[in-house]
Amino acid sequence: MIDQFENNGDGENKLPDRPLECSECKKGIAVCYTEIVGDVITRVSMCADCPELQRRLHGAHIHHAGASHEETATGVACGNCGTTLESLRVGIPLGCSVCYEVFDDILIDELLSSEKIPERLAKGKKTSPIHIGRAPGESQEMNPSLRLLALNEALNETLKKEDYEQAALLRDQIKALTENKESSQGKPHENK
Amino acid sequence: MKINEPQGSILFQKKPWSNNPNPIWLASTVTLLRNIEKFKFPGKLDDDRKKQIVSLVSKDLLADGATAVGGLTKPSLIKGESIGALEKEYLVEHFMSSHNYNEAGAGEGFILDESGEFLATLNMNDHVHLQLLDIKGELENTWSRLVKIETALGKKLNYSYLPKFGFLTADPTQCGTALLVTVYLQVSGLVHMGIVDDILEKIADESFYISGIQGNPNEIIGDILMIQNNYTLGLTEENIISSMRSLTTKLIVEETSTRNQVKKDNSADMKDKVSRAYGILTHSYQIESVEALNALSLLKLGAEAGWISGIGNRELNELTFNCRRAHLLHECTEKISQEEIPHKRAEKIHKALKEVKLLT
Repeated sequence: MIDQFENNGDGENKLPDRPLECSECKKGIAVCYTEIVGDVITRVSMCADCPELQRRLHGAHIHHAGASHEETATGVACGNCGTTLESLRVGIPLGCSVCYEVFDDILIDELLSSEKIPERLAKGKKTSPIHIGRAPGESQEMNPSLRLLALNEALNETLKKEDYEQAALLRDQIKALTENKESSQGKPHENK
Repeated sequence: MKINEPQGSILFQKKPWSNNPNPIWLASTVTLLRNIEKFKFPGKLDDDRKKQIVSLVSKDLLADGATAVGGLTKPSLIKGESIGALEKEYLVEHFMSSHNYNEAGAGEGFILDESGEFLATLNMNDHVHLQLLDIKGELENTWSRLVKIETALGKKLNYSYLPKFGFLTADPTQCGTALLVTVYLQVSGLVHMGIVDDILEKIADESFYISGIQGNPNEIIGDILMIQNNYTLGLTEENIISSMRSLTTKLIVEETSTRNQVKKDNSADMKDKVSRAYGILTHSYQIESVEALNALSLLKLGAEAGWISGIGNRELNELTFNCRRAHLLHECTEKISQEEIPHKRAEKIHKALKEVKLLT
């Protein structure tokens, strides 16, 4: 009954106007759901973790897959903008910055389940800051050696495969970059 | 249908991608998403508040100080309601955007500058999206330039920020650095040798989102991969950029050696594919953009293998961008109907490929 979504049949020559999204919420399509009742066939496309899909598959009363704390949290809403937990679950954007404080850990759970933060963060303590990097007002410049590292890595791989033509190309790029770096040294480094 | 040219046509001034000799790297964009403190996100704002944001941000971005710091040249504001659907489509095509600007109305806006590389969208998902387009493969420099613009603006406005979640965005999956890096690579060789999936599995991990240019991961149009960072939270901007650099370098290496292999194999099957693509492009009476982009990619493969003469990457890349609907319409001087577009496209391609010869 459930097919992995492969192609939108009619999409061959026409560009879709906007990215395809779930018929129930705003997430990407993962499942094509076909329901046959008597002579009537209905076909809808939904995202993988759509509450609507759960409802159709398992019946109305099990629509939140397990987890007791989820049910207790269902009534939560942001006092500043009125965004509810329900709307957050179906992928509707947050309404204001206060939402981040209201939903806090629930947000992190959501991010984890939609695989939108690196896995190693899942193991860390939830209370510690997960953002790494600049804060407002800080400016920064890219260390040019980072690009060199990437090129060197690629160079080593091509050498392993004995693809000398490619290796020569990469070496030229590395050379050009190192020369550039030398000539541009002495520029003031903007870093507060 | 006809494109209007309002506002001294800053929209149409420069096409950064029109002179791109790169065989694989078509374009890249670097985007920073920012919201302004104390205001609700655009989805919850009424029109008056939205207009307030537009005037706040544009006042600061258009001010002389920001112009100097960010290196912007004569930026100007285009209000959402002042341009039509086709002009917005033109913007989407120009900046390879995966957003739909069509819904931009009175409370939304765009800020462009003369370079044709800078775009700020106002009140679309977030208060400000600052974006730079680049075709030279200069991810690192582009990011540095964008950070300058972002910090210049940040001196006048306070961004929504929490130490735990970083910069706050309406879509919680984009908070943290709120940095999106997107690279468009044309991997004609990998696709037509049937190895693109294997290669991607080998070198790309879950920290990248890879799809076609329309945002559909199951439909790769014109053999162009759109590669974007999947994570914005929990790693630094340098991490994001350097892992993107590393992935794209590896992919380019694979694609170049595959193209060399295609040339060396000189296989009848591949030559057949290229000849058919040439036939479609030069003899169709009407052609849709997806078909055109696919065939143009094969033509590129053929040109590099030495099976086709009279055209280079520069021209093929330009045609790839210009045969899309809004760009095509922009070149038309007269008004044409929706039904006539595929024919206009075919005509344009015929003209561009006039000197192209299939070598046997």
